[in-house]
Amino acid sequence: MHRMNDHSSSLSSPAGISRQKKESVITGIWLATALVAVITIILILGFLLKEGLPALLEIGLREFLFEEIWTPTSVEPSYGILSLIIGTILVTLGAMVIAVPLGIGSAIFIAEIAPRSVREAIKPAIELLAGIPSVVYGFFGLVVLTNWLRITFDLSSGATWLAGSIILGIMALPTIISVSEDAITSVPQEYRAASLALGATRWQTIIGVIIPAALSGITAAVILGMGRAIGETMAVLMVTGNAAIIPDPLWNILSPVRTLTATLGIEMGEVAIGSTHYHALFAIALVLLLIALIINLSATVILGRIRNAQMGTGKTPFLSHEVKGKVKTVCLWLACILLIGVLTVISGLSGALLLIGAIGAYLLIQRIITPKITEKIAFGMITAATGLVLFTLFVILFDIVSNGLSAITWEFLTEGPRDLGRSGGIFPAIVGTIYLVVGAIAIALPIGVGAAIYLNEYTIEGKMTKIIRTGNDLLNGTPSIVFGLFGFAFLVIFVGLGVSLLAGQITLALMVLPTIIRTSEEALKSVPDSLRHGSLALGATRWHTISRVVLPAAAPGILTGTILSIGRAAGETAPLLFTAVVFSKRFLPDSVFEPVMALPYHLFILATNVPGADTQKYGTALVLLILVTGIYAVAVLMRKHAQNTVRW
Amino acid sequence: MKQQDNALETKALNLYYGSAQALIDVDIQIPKNQVTALIGPSGCGKSTLLRCFNRMNDLIPDCTISGSILYHGEEITGRSTDVVELRKRIGMVFQQPNPFPKSIYENVIYGPKVHGVRDRKQLDEIAEKSLKGAAIWEEVRERLHDAARGLSGGQQQRLCIARTLSVGPDIILMDEPCSALDPIATAKIENLITELKDEYTVVIVTHNMQQAARVSDYTGFMYMGRLIEFDSTPVIFEKPKEELTENYITGRFG
Ligand SMILES: Nc1ncnc2c1ncn2[C@@H]1O[C@H](COP(=O)(O)OP(=O)(O)O)[C@@H](O)[C@H]1O
Ligand SMILES: [Mg+2]
Repeated sequence: MHRMNDHSSSLSSPAGISRQKKESVITGIWLATALVAVITIILILGFLLKEGLPALLEIGLREFLFEEIWTPTSVEPSYGILSLIIGTILVTLGAMVIAVPLGIGSAIFIAEIAPRSVREAIKPAIELLAGIPSVVYGFFGLVVLTNWLRITFDLSSGATWLAGSIILGIMALPTIISVSEDAITSVPQEYRAASLALGATRWQTIIGVIIPAALSGITAAVILGMGRAIGETMAVLMVTGNAAIIPDPLWNILSPVRTLTATLGIEMGEVAIGSTHYHALFAIALVLLLIALIINLSATVILGRIRNAQMGTGKTPFLSHEVKGKVKTVCLWLACILLIGVLTVISGLSGALLLIGAIGAYLLIQRIITPKITEKIAFGMITAATGLVLFTLFVILFDIVSNGLSAITWEFLTEGPRDLGRSGGIFPAIVGTIYLVVGAIAIALPIGVGAAIYLNEYTIEGKMTKIIRTGNDLLNGTPSIVFGLFGFAFLVIFVGLGVSLLAGQITLALMVLPTIIRTSEEALKSVPDSLRHGSLALGATRWHTISRVVLPAAAPGILTGTILSIGRAAGETAPLLFTAVVFSKRFLPDSVFEPVMALPYHLFILATNVPGADTQKYGTALVLLILVTGIYAVAVLMRKHAQNTVRW
Repeated sequence: MKQQDNALETKALNLYYGSAQALIDVDIQIPKNQVTALIGPSGCGKSTLLRCFNRMNDLIPDCTISGSILYHGEEITGRSTDVVELRKRIGMVFQQPNPFPKSIYENVIYGPKVHGVRDRKQLDEIAEKSLKGAAIWEEVRERLHDAARGLSGGQQQRLCIARTLSVGPDIILMDEPCSALDPIATAKIENLITELKDEYTVVIVTHNMQQAARVSDYTGFMYMGRLIEFDSTPVIFEKPKEELTENYITGRFG
């Protein structure tokens, strides 16, 4: 302020020049942070190639991909991953059969049917579903679901393709619901008004106008859900039985299967470094990464296209009008036949006949019954779908809380484990998880916010931002087990950190980085330009404007993203399997170069390897659940609060 | 005016959005096969009144009404009224052209399909008839399967009128249908409106007084939720009885 009337200094004073220098240094720093994601994904690809290629060269690409037998540890080892690829595809497909109708139904319910108050209550519940750590899903699947399947279908073991699909379906639901709901909600209100004004019922409006208008968004939702399912490790590993076989017959959903991710999760910890088996596992990770990236990129492309093409163009459509009609009919029939086939398998002929009857009755009824009644039936079914989703959430929470509460004692929370975790407590695991998460966030937060600042404040959209964003998307789509392998090859072996707290922190940090970048960028974008202009017009430098004006305004959004990342990091297991964790350790680590215990891993080992620790399992699951969902709840509340308070 | 000549009539109509009253004791009679314009300053309740006629206000939470609305002498405010059938007979054209993100053809056959017409040939006939009725057939007949959103604003609005005609209404409500259009497109729609009155009753909301004078036979002037004056258009514009109307017409406020 004191310089206000000081017009004597020239416009190109030395002070001005050094100020410019400082600005360009700052720009350089932000650019560097923005490049971390790109460099990481390149490193991941590089290390997977470096470690995976020897196997491909030795085994041969064709034998590797199309040979059925995977027996890497037998006397005459065979390294064919066809059964693993098929296992992955089958489990994912099954998950989609479950999650797509339920997810889209719930999205329609939330966006179009539910009264406001109900919607406000359901949305946090769906977010809670998303916040449950995958190892907890796996645990629930292992102790409750597979048991139930075993008894219901009279099997020797309930760990099956079906169990995997159910658990993965539940896990894919939140993604499908929230992205679809966004797509439906963003359909302009004017379409609804136009349709209703023509005398259409609400259901006719939903089916005839809203769903078609939101279709690409819903497609992206399904693809993203699929990406989540394909990349999932711990939950599938715990419930699918892990037999590396192709189900016989192929549609036998009660057969055990093994996925690519599970193979990595199971075998990576025990393999001899440098062996063919070791390299083959990296080749599997490479295949997995490519599949996941293709899926996630296609979703990104679709979502990007929607953003650009909200308004249709006058271009003639890709398929002519008549062809499109025919394609639609054919697809519908195929879907029907597929569904009937699946049902036949599940419940025998009677189920299929029932379905055929239902479809026939529906077609018949549709001609006779008024649109009003159709609407009632449809709304009833959609409400039931949403009810089923909420009921599932309730069952999982109830099971874990009711069985876990009795384990929670002062001793359990404050002492180390004894007798392989059958007695004693989980104190080192709690502390280990906190160490891991705090370290990961301390690394990821400055980098992520810096990258967001660079993308949003220091540059205009161009080649560079495109590369950075693509790198970020790719990193975001990378399955967590791949981070685990990368962390092992790069941090543990190559950099030489060993299996240590630090290696785990860095791996987790890289994994949550994309989330932090994206949420921070959104928060920065929501700060109105008028604020920046106001500050710049007073002669403030860009950095001054950002640090004093923009960042404080964006802080709530950035904090929300950070908290979500904390929740995610606290619940992750796969990235830590080979980088940081040990099962039993009486003492806390003295330095970051020592391994630690962690809650998710402790639960995993208790559940899969330690018979007779039932109370401890449930207790650990409950503590983990409370920790993670508590963190999510804070994020949800904060966002609500930020939405309700008017900040400018 | 005799009772049976009125397409629509309200008696002591009051409407509340929550506790805010938006219509106060409105009594209006909309004559059949005429164009009636509703004018008045922004926020005076024109759109609200229009939405009462096809019950679009049902969609607004906590919107309540009292009084009565008659459609050809039949009460339509009650619970027993078939809203779907009512909206089929009373069509609506909105301020912003709002074709669906579908082809031109699919836009015009959407209504008939919703009401159970399935026969292709019949649908084709309806499409042609409606597009002709909205004076847009010649412009789009060669590209019926192109995206409707690729049309110009004026064409989109006429397509919306065609879409309204497709379900065979006898009344068409238009809420500032030209406010988003340029003068040439506006002129086309105005011509169309005068043609439509042979077959339809048209109620048009406009804040453009020249437009009201050009296209309408009757004009109602609204102010702060009340219908201040209603008369034939020449009377309203040349010899209004109310001082408020005169002030508005001569541009002394709003
Ligand atoms: N959906 C709504 N909810 C609450 N108030 C509304 C709503 N629509 C209109 N209003 C209020 O009702 C009054 C009349 O609005 P409207 O009928 O849109 O006026 P006009 O069309 O003459 O500009 C205004 O005060 C407006 O704020
Ligand atoms: Mg209006």
